[in-house]
Amino acid sequence: MRKPGLRARVTAGFAVGALLVSAAMALLSYQLTERYLLDERERTARRTVLADAEIVRAGLNVDDPDELQVLRSLDTGANRRALLQHGGVTYSRTVDSGLARNLPDSLVALVARGEAGVQRVRIGDRAAMVFGVPLGESTALYEVDYLHELDRSLKVLALVLTLVAAGTAGAGALLGVYAGRRVLRPLTTVADAARDIADGRLSARLDPETEPDLARLATSFNRMVDQLSARMDRDRRFAADVSHELRSPLQTLSSAASVLQRRSAQFDERTAVAARLLVEEVDRFQELVTDLLELARSDQPADLAAVDVAALARQVCRTRGLPADLVVVARGADRFWQVDRRRIEQVLANLLDNAQAHGGGAVAVRVARLRGVHVLEVDDEGPGVSPADRDAIFDRFVRGRSAGARGDSEGTGLGLALVAQHVAAHGGTVHVLDRPGGGARFRVELPREDT
Amino acid sequence: MIEDDDRIRLALTLALEDEGYTVRAAATAEEGLLGQRREPADIVLVDLMLPGIDGFQCIRELRRTDDVPVVVISARDDTHDIVAALEAGADDYLVKPVATKELSARLRALQRRARPPAQTAQPDELALGDLAVRPLAGEVLLRGEQLTLTRTEFRLLCELAEHAGQVLSRQQLLQRVWEYDFGDERLVDVHVGRLRQKIEDNPGTPQRLVTVRGLGYKMPR
Repeated sequence: MRKPGLRARVTAGFAVGALLVSAAMALLSYQLTERYLLDERERTARRTVLADAEIVRAGLNVDDPDELQVLRSLDTGANRRALLQHGGVTYSRTVDSGLARNLPDSLVALVARGEAGVQRVRIGDRAAMVFGVPLGESTALYEVDYLHELDRSLKVLALVLTLVAAGTAGAGALLGVYAGRRVLRPLTTVADAARDIADGRLSARLDPETEPDLARLATSFNRMVDQLSARMDRDRRFAADVSHELRSPLQTLSSAASVLQRRSAQFDERTAVAARLLVEEVDRFQELVTDLLELARSDQPADLAAVDVAALARQVCRTRGLPADLVVVARGADRFWQVDRRRIEQVLANLLDNAQAHGGGAVAVRVARLRGVHVLEVDDEGPGVSPADRDAIFDRFVRGRSAGARGDSEGTGLGLALVAQHVAAHGGTVHVLDRPGGGARFRVELPREDT
Repeated sequence: MIEDDDRIRLALTLALEDEGYTVRAAATAEEGLLGQRREPADIVLVDLMLPGIDGFQCIRELRRTDDVPVVVISARDDTHDIVAALEAGADDYLVKPVATKELSARLRALQRRARPPAQTAQPDELALGDLAVRPLAGEVLLRGEQLTLTRTEFRLLCELAEHAGQVLSRQQLLQRVWEYDFGDERLVDVHVGRLRQKIEDNPGTPQRLVTVRGLGYKMPR
């Protein structure tokens, strides 16, 4: 699974943090409020119960007391129920005698020992406080104080606090989104600058002043770009120097070789052989140097323009003495491709030369469109390329081991490497396939501009 | 030929003499320019990296007075250098090492361009608004005033004027004007630019020689 982005993590962190803090605060305030309200209620109720106990004590302190009458004289209101135990009988003002069974045992035991007490219980689904006051031998007053109003209030409080906690978490998430964006904004600048540099605009720099927290990053970044651009400058100058220093003597060699070649008929046999070797090797050396210099310029971006590739292919065929009807245009192929004309010309030329050297000559050049990409194929009827060599043949200085190869003197070993490089400069790919019916099929795929 | 490298100068001279040319060689631009004034050559070959006056300056100097075809033969293959040399007024640009056969083919094409067009059905004058092209007389008049064009510019203008109202692709122009089966389209672009400097009132917004995007150039009727 993909790791979530920094921004998502910041947002989630803020939300979880806000939720934790607000939940803890809510819990704490709920419990404090609940305890305070209950304590307050208990204090009030206790006073009332003790006052009631005095009334009951006075009411019972007569001969032949009427327990029910005494109970009725108590002002118990709607939420309280009173129970009077006297001489083994339990008296209640209302007919809910089930109340007596709900008296907690520990409270009854406490009262039996002669001590007053209070205990919280649940009767049915209602919370209540039970007070017990001993009034003498086998006499006790119990009062049950129902807490359902308080309960309702606490429920509302709990609901409100839950909502507040959820709201706080949401606000935290929003804050996280904002903070994430805020924190990442300077990084967007860094990303933009890095993209500029990757695209070859080496003048892109970061300003360490604008974002003090990122000053170190900006400074290191700028230093890195400085070094990179200095190095590229050095490389470019070196390549230009090498190019000049190699091309100049080659001009002398090439011109002098052509003079020798023209007079080869006048040489004696030994001199003629030597002259021929010299001329051939000068030619090959010249190709090698040209290809090497081309490879050295690999970092240059493709110079794109609309090119009629089929027409280009026909021209390349003609200049190589091949029939132009070798070029087949498949149905659906685009006429104009956005490509670097010079480079695609070289791709075609090198593939045709390769077919000539190792595949007995090209038998078809196909211009097509396949699955939304431009396709250029060069077929030959040679022995094909074994699967093990299919990647390696695009490396530098790899010459075919195939039976069709005419010894080591053929080619520079750079032709297919240049093909791969030119195709890569267009963002495309090149592969070798088996041609149906035998031979090799070199397929170049180039992205179409509108996809 | 203006070439500062002694060996290249000697080898190129030998090779071109084999092809039937008479070569006068100079080691510096100063010497070459002086020679051209005294005894004009049919074609000038010039290197770019020269001591003293460099190749670019040398081409500009030549162009001030002369419409002689100029071919640059340089070891520099940078786009900037190629475009700068063509803009200075060179007719063609070859990167060293140049094979003798190729050089010879290009020189022959240049010589053919220096002569009036061979077609027999040439009209005496092609009129395009206030621009009059006279292919046979080798004259171009803008509002009655004669313009000075190099031979390549003149051939380019004739080709476009003959096919007025029609788009000619860069490759077509290379074939018809330079007689290259195949070549560097920058040659066409730079020469069109230079031609515009001479025939347009405002070369930045051309009216007489317009670019048709993705296709080529045309002169509206």
